[in-house]
Amino acid sequence: MSDVAALRVEDLSEIVEQVWSSYLDPEGVEPLLPVYDDIDSMKTDMHASVSITGTWHGHVVVACNESAAKNTSAAFLAMEVEEVGEADMMDVLGELANIVGGNVKSMLPPGCFVSLPTVVTGEAPHYPSAEPVCRLAGTWMSDPFVITMWQSRGDGGEAA
Amino acid sequence: MKILIADDSRVMRQIVTRTLRQAGFDGHDLVEAQDGKQAFDLVQSEKPDLVISDWNMPEMTGVECLRQLRANGNNVKFGFVTSECTPEMMQQAEAAGAEFFIIKPFTAERFDEVFSPILG
Repeated sequence: MSDVAALRVEDLSEIVEQVWSSYLDPEGVEPLLPVYDDIDSMKTDMHASVSITGTWHGHVVVACNESAAKNTSAAFLAMEVEEVGEADMMDVLGELANIVGGNVKSMLPPGCFVSLPTVVTGEAPHYPSAEPVCRLAGTWMSDPFVITMWQSRGDGGEAA
Repeated sequence: MKILIADDSRVMRQIVTRTLRQAGFDGHDLVEAQDGKQAFDLVQSEKPDLVISDWNMPEMTGVECLRQLRANGNNVKFGFVTSECTPEMMQQAEAAGAEFFIIKPFTAERFDEVFSPILG
């Protein structure tokens, strides 16, 4: 069944680097700077997620704040930060979760399905029957980004 | 050429459009679909030369759309731009008659490599 070792932070990091080099930092001048300490105190109020079901059960959540969501949207949509609206941020963060989640799926055992993305603002989503098993945090243009993989307990998603 | 871009994310349709331009494929007639069902319908009505499709979409997935088109005898050039890439998906895509499989995130170089033989 699923192997938690397949979900290493290095793998998440590789996916994130590809996203940054393709869309958010193509010139290589504004990378996501990793944060290792005090991640829990990083304030995020926008959360985009996809759920993964099948041979592995869990969720991939991309969290940031509004400033990061605006900068991300501006970069994805090639527009000025001032022009970015609520719908743009929702769509962009959803796509970001979709890209990360889709790439994560490639590292999981065959037979997994990725849901369409969901984006919420405010409180971070909590999954009572799952626990965080892999987390990558960083700052981009001084704003926080936290990417967390939640793995459901039991049912092929036995957490470490 | 007429190109149909099918993706439920407006952002991704925009990025595909921009990346086509960055890869030097200007001047093509672009049509957009928001899900697989709409893509299927637009292939019939708009008769595009190429379909660039997401995989995971509401109503009808990209591969279901492709299978349905082929079942109806439609041989439009069709391929996928998707964040999900597993051996079984690539096999399904190939078996359904897909021409290409591009993984998100992608670059203009990757578009150039894939679309140069198709778009010239």
